Amino acid sequence: MIGWLDVPRSWLNSFGEIASFGLKVAGQVYSGRVFKFFGEGLRQAGILIFGSALIIFAFCFILGLQCGLQGAYFNRSIGAPSLAGLFSAYCDLREGLPYAFGYILAAKVGTGIVAELGAMRISDEIDALEVMGIQPVTFLCATRLLGAWIALPFLYLIGIVIIYAASYLSVVNQVGDVSSGGYLLIFWMYQSPPDLIFSLIKGMVMATVIVLVGCYYGYTASGGPVGVGTATAKSMVFNIVAVHILGMLGTLIFWGSNPRAPIGG
Amino acid sequence: MAGQALTRGLLPVKNAFEEVGVMMILTVKTLISAVRPPYPYGEELVWQFLFVLKLSWFPLVISTFALNFGAPGLQAAGILSLIGGLDRLGGFFVVIAIRWIGPIVTAVVVAGVAGTAITADLGARKIREELDALQVLGVDPVKNLVVPRFLALIVITGLLDLFAIVTGLTAGIAAELLYHQSLGGFFATLFSNATITDLWSSVMVCTMFGAIVAVVCSYKGMSASGGAAGVGRAVNQAVVISLVAVFFFQFVVSSVLLATNPELQAVR
Repeated sequence: MIGWLDVPRSWLNSFGEIASFGLKVAGQVYSGRVFKFFGEGLRQAGILIFGSALIIFAFCFILGLQCGLQGAYFNRSIGAPSLAGLFSAYCDLREGLPYAFGYILAAKVGTGIVAELGAMRISDEIDALEVMGIQPVTFLCATRLLGAWIALPFLYLIGIVIIYAASYLSVVNQVGDVSSGGYLLIFWMYQSPPDLIFSLIKGMVMATVIVLVGCYYGYTASGGPVGVGTATAKSMVFNIVAVHILGMLGTLIFWGSNPRAPIGG
Repeated sequence: MAGQALTRGLLPVKNAFEEVGVMMILTVKTLISAVRPPYPYGEELVWQFLFVLKLSWFPLVISTFALNFGAPGLQAAGILSLIGGLDRLGGFFVVIAIRWIGPIVTAVVVAGVAGTAITADLGARKIREELDALQVLGVDPVKNLVVPRFLALIVITGLLDLFAIVTGLTAGIAAELLYHQSLGGFFATLFSNATITDLWSSVMVCTMFGAIVAVVCSYKGMSASGGAAGVGRAVNQAVVISLVAVFFFQFVVSSVLLATNPELQAVR
């Protein structure tokens, strides 16, 4: 039976270990030691694209539909239905897409990495790698981080296209309070290239943390098939909270003091 | 030749449809065995309820506060302070915190925390052939394992949704205080915009999310196979399917709800 404070206590216990493990893996990529296994990194990028791209795009599409729907009805309820583009622009680019990306990466990629590495750990494949003289952290974790850094920015940018299209569909075609031209005018006016860069940074920080947490829980899994399942569940809990906190910090840093809106002098 | 290629191309679609069908069958089976007389699952129900509550209250509070403080709080307060209408933040929070983020974040946290735990637990039992052993002993796994989890998740997502709303509104108040605004305007627009329909629809939708998460995660756990990698893969698939299903369901329900309840869109 678990206690009421077990979850926060276990995070405090494992946070330091996750941080030092993550720094070690990121250091392997940063120092270029991972390029000994560059082919494996490319393979991981390919696995990300072929295995996860479709589900990421589907999730972005659904969140774009929701952003447009809620924004259209909210703007109707304050008597300014023609400003639905404002809500969509903020919701899509600044908040919706990073969260959608974080959720689905945590669910698909993060837990996938834990399941994969955990199974390797349980069947002693990681020890075998070590015996063969290959650094397992570099070969298994750093290549995954490299693959994520190669593939995910592009998936994120395509996700922006998809989430914009979905919001347009739901505001203009489903609710229909505002014309296509009126929507697009406000929509494009309330965003600028720096917003895109900030949003991309937010999404990539989330992706990095998710991959590192997945690698940590998979690499340290123990206790047979049951242990792999438990480690997968634990990584999901950690990732969900990390995504939300990183999203809040990103908003505070990038838009907290300056909303970057074309209003006023 | 073309027919073969078509068949192979449509295989994932066919598998997806089959999977949805099996989950529907499990849902109906769960509902029937929940109401049919012998009720052996009382103790397990209470245990699961406490388990989910103890596991998810802390992630839920942190997540809702962070999401509501960042996304609707700071972004909307920034633009509202430019046009000098920070008191409208309360009305905005009715839409965001109660109608949208409350149920969604509760579902995401429950799927990520409790759903994964359920799949890992049932998957481990499946791998160790405990489920088969139960069946041999004449104990129905659906009635004794799935029904208590299903009922516990339904009740607890509805209750956690209320906590998510309260925490979300606290985050709104924090954003308002960050801009040195008095709280009178926030509460005035909050209570003049909020309707009972908002609240009950939020809780109702959230209970249905709980049902979706419970069925998907139980099904994936009970059909896990393939040794050590199998349980992990089952958890992975379960959480992806529940997230996509929950978000899609939320879109459909809120479309219908907002279009059929004109009092939600009245200008106040």
